[in-house]
Amino acid sequence: MALPFSGRKDGLSLSEALPDRSLFVLVAMMSFLAALTLTGATGARTLSTRWAGGAAQLLTIQVSEPDQPLIASGKTGKTTTQQTRADTVLADLATLPSGTQVHRLTQEELARLLTPWLGEAGKTALPLPAVIEVRLAEGQEAPADLEQTLSTHVPGTVVEHNAEWSTRLRALAESLLACAALALATVGGIATLITALSTRAGLSTRRDIIEILHGLGATDSYIAGRFAWRTGGLAFGGGLLGTVLAMAPLLLLFRMAAPFAASTLQASSTAMPDWRTLPDLLPGDMLAGLAALPFVAAFIGWATTQFMVRVWLRRMP
Amino acid sequence: MIRLKAVSWRRERREGAPVLSNLSFDVPQGGFRWLLGPSGAGKTSLLSLLHLENLPTDGTLCLLDKDVTAQTPRAVLVRLRQRIGMVHQDFRLMPDLSVADNVALPLRLQHRPEDEITDEVHAILKWVGLGECIGVRASRLSGGEQQRTAIARAIVHRPGLILADEPTNALEEPQAHKLLDLFGELSSMGTTVIVATHNEALVRRLPRPALVLERGRLVQDGA
Ligand SMILES: Nc1ncnc2c1ncn2[C@@H]1O[C@H](COP(=O)(O)OP(=O)(O)OP(=O)(O)O)[C@@H](O)[C@H]1O
Ligand SMILES: [Mg+2]
Repeated sequence: MALPFSGRKDGLSLSEALPDRSLFVLVAMMSFLAALTLTGATGARTLSTRWAGGAAQLLTIQVSEPDQPLIASGKTGKTTTQQTRADTVLADLATLPSGTQVHRLTQEELARLLTPWLGEAGKTALPLPAVIEVRLAEGQEAPADLEQTLSTHVPGTVVEHNAEWSTRLRALAESLLACAALALATVGGIATLITALSTRAGLSTRRDIIEILHGLGATDSYIAGRFAWRTGGLAFGGGLLGTVLAMAPLLLLFRMAAPFAASTLQASSTAMPDWRTLPDLLPGDMLAGLAALPFVAAFIGWATTQFMVRVWLRRMP
Repeated sequence: MIRLKAVSWRRERREGAPVLSNLSFDVPQGGFRWLLGPSGAGKTSLLSLLHLENLPTDGTLCLLDKDVTAQTPRAVLVRLRQRIGMVHQDFRLMPDLSVADNVALPLRLQHRPEDEITDEVHAILKWVGLGECIGVRASRLSGGEQQRTAIARAIVHRPGLILADEPTNALEEPQAHKLLDLFGELSSMGTTVIVATHNEALVRRLPRPALVLERGRLVQDGA
């Protein structure tokens, strides 16, 4: 004859009797918040490294009337050469240290850059300068006399150093990063505290059960283990739910931010990436952080319970 | 066997007279003792010492042939507690567990095989008249049903010592008598039994030595 036992998934059929669902809901909410903050921080870091690194290494050179032949001025007077002005600048740039990338924007790239300002007129016969992007290798600086060399060779060439820009950007990036770190630390601290407190609140209503089990001859580690397993599981579920719920706004944000995170003019596009390519854009360490969230929540619940239950049990002989 | 020598107990951080003072008595293995005395005399407090919920502040306590002091390792206390069956005055059931799961607790804590647990629990619940309530949550039970569940939980694992605090106050007379007969039988089979009660009719029905407390002192030591 079978007994209608309520099951013994946990050895004592305690699952019915252990801390309740409010812990689950609270942990879900805290994980949601933590996931958002984590993403915000990752986004801020990505943007700031791109700005700080990218801007400093980038020179933009404009050559007016690029396709005119170069009129070289020498001691013997002005002579017309075969090379166009743009080609001359490109030849000069080829002497920069190895690792430097030089790219002259194509007509289409130029047109795309200008479309927001000039509309389709960008494609018309306006005399457009050549725009040459120079990306220096990591740690390299442009020669101090580059601008002078170029404008002597090809008068009317403008070198746009991004140095001033980049100092400001770097300062901005650093403060952004500091804010993100602070937010992450604060939210992490609050989430830990809330999880611990709600675990404690859930447990204190079950204190009589701890005393009953103790009186029946259960060991401390057994009682603490049963309760910790249960709260750890609840916190894991809450953490998982919160993180999954946070993914929707996160994906949306990342999709909208993608164009701004692009590192070069060529790569920049005003179009938002396709939904399908989106996972590739998300930084790996952020995904790892998000995946870790439920486990962190579970650990906090587990550890708090172990601690609390053992402290209570210690007060009894 | 139980042996107390000059045992006193006061609540933690409480001034004034101790709740129990200078208690000395012996109960041999298989002995039956009534624990009598007016309300507030300290009956529940004495049972809490014998159940190792509290340790004596002074004096020496020997339970089931083991000396118990503040230095006794927790593991030893745990094993002793597993050999004691206690019926609390307020039952102390797990409200969210079924009657069967409540009664199964002592057996499960001893890691008995589940089919054996099923048989034992079923038999004992049938005996206390709760065969119909096996799957009911403890919180849904009447007072008498709760008390019978608590009694079943205290004896299901055949403890060497049974402590019962007013175990019949929620029971009807026939049930109370039946329980008393069981306690007498268990005692004659070698289980030490101590029953605290106010019910004089019950005491008359089973005339056995009594420990009588008054304001925390033993006025009759049951010898
Ligand atoms: N939780 C408590 N805190 C402080 N004092 C208590 C507490 N419980 C009981 N006492 C006191 O301890 C003394 C002994 O109480 P105890 O419960 O042992 O008496 P009892 O003989 O079991 O009484 P009853 O027959 O009413 O159950 C009493 O003076 C009582 O007032
Ligand atoms: Mg009492």
